[in-house]
Amino acid sequence: MPKFMFVYRGGHEGMEHATPEEMQQVMQVWMDWIQGGVEAGWLLDGGDGLKPEGAIVNADLSVIDGPFTESKELVGGYSMVEAHDLAAAIELAKGSPMPQSGGTVEVRQIMQPGMEGS
Amino acid sequence: MKHSTSQLVEHFFRHESANLVAVLTRAFGIRRLDLIEDMVQAAMLEAMHTWKQSGVPDKPAAWIHRVAKNRILDALRREKIHEKAISFTGQSIRDQESIVDQWLEEEHLPDSLLRMIFVCCHPSLERKTQIALTLKTLCGFGVSEIARGLLLPEETVKKRIQRAKKSLAAANVPLEFPVDDRLVQRLDVVHDVLYLMFNEGYSTSLGSEPIRDDICEEAARLCHLLCESAYCLPVTKALLALMLFQAARFDARTDEDGAVILLEDQDRTRWDRCLIMNAQSWLAQSKTDQPTTFHLEAAIAMQHCIAPSVEATNWETIVRLYSRLMQLRESPVYSLNRAIALAQAGDTCEALMQLESLQSREEMQNYLLLDCAFARIHELDGNTQSAIDACLRALSKAVAPHEKELLERKLLKLTEKR
Repeated sequence: MPKFMFVYRGGHEGMEHATPEEMQQVMQVWMDWIQGGVEAGWLLDGGDGLKPEGAIVNADLSVIDGPFTESKELVGGYSMVEAHDLAAAIELAKGSPMPQSGGTVEVRQIMQPGMEGS
Repeated sequence: MKHSTSQLVEHFFRHESANLVAVLTRAFGIRRLDLIEDMVQAAMLEAMHTWKQSGVPDKPAAWIHRVAKNRILDALRREKIHEKAISFTGQSIRDQESIVDQWLEEEHLPDSLLRMIFVCCHPSLERKTQIALTLKTLCGFGVSEIARGLLLPEETVKKRIQRAKKSLAAANVPLEFPVDDRLVQRLDVVHDVLYLMFNEGYSTSLGSEPIRDDICEEAARLCHLLCESAYCLPVTKALLALMLFQAARFDARTDEDGAVILLEDQDRTRWDRCLIMNAQSWLAQSKTDQPTTFHLEAAIAMQHCIAPSVEATNWETIVRLYSRLMQLRESPVYSLNRAIALAQAGDTCEALMQLESLQSREEMQNYLLLDCAFARIHELDGNTQSAIDACLRALSKAVAPHEKELLERKLLKLTEKR
């Protein structure tokens, strides 16, 4: 079955002032979603979060620290999933907590050896 | 078990942020409270972002402690203050770090939390401010949650907390235990704050937000912490018993739609037997030659909890307990409740006389429960029309929708009887 990568961006807006209880609730929603995906079998790897600090190395080898200026452009993490096709993967992505929290999920099929891009 | 949340107990973030604030304030001083709160908030955010995808680490508390501690130490270093000035106790930052580590160990946490209780209940602060500050600092509630729980505008809560922090910082109040004769006085304040905090959450006349149950739970948690410490007096145990007796009836107090169910209509099988037994044990341990109002109120709450029904309740004992309460402290609320108990015990005549004498008091003019008490006593007396009249009087004063709804239900019941 084709594999896909979910790339999460943004979704942290307004969380700086969240109360501890609200943070715990947000986390719980994610945990439940990941747990559900693992149990159903389509979530291959919940992936990891990415730290906001980072750098971009340009073609001229110049380095920009802090990959993006705006948090909504910031890649916050990724997951690996399995689905029949792109449409099915998109449906799975719609079910993630990301869109609800104002962020985006980029869905990309992973190219595998001996497999057409289809 | 990469993605398990099982290590994350309920209210983990809230309680860990309270633990951190208490320990770090003890280490770096009340003047740093704002900075400490910011750094703790940042550590919580970092935990949330990291854990929501990668899963909760093996020792989540230790993880958060480490991040928060590093953040505050970095922030203090960035301030480029001389090392000596950084430490509240005059130690170098490295010594300070190992002290913080030690204080953050589970068995040492209560010590810092108790010190913080005394600071939040500092006598220089107004009672309402003490409650708000306790909820913020020791329970980890946000301003918006406190505002919802206490039914106050957010701005009011924010201002109260800011003013409190400012005045505590100006006085540089240390996180230490009061000693000698001051201890009992300071404990009195702490008891009062916890009692009022519990009442704020408990009062059904203010609606039934889930946050209000959390406030009760927090008051009981802090009281329990005090009971397990060296600063426990008999009255502390009586207060805990009182809270637990009341908490035992929580679930039976409202129906699925959140509507209030009166004592007479509550399903007593839904009362929490475990909590009742627990409360009885604390009350037994609270024995003293000089029972306080908390002792007597707990004894009354127990009488309700052990009674199989309203009719089979030992109302004579309850009347006696209210009489003793009134000897300790004059309060129209005690008189009112004593009158209801009197009527339940069969003496409606005396009960009505008592209520009538209360009616003339100014503070009782707009007191909804006085009319409700009249209604109840007339009902017990078989005087349905007077009961209806009293209910209508109460209805004209009721403000909250759920109060109106409750009274309307009662009226319907009475009209059917007529």
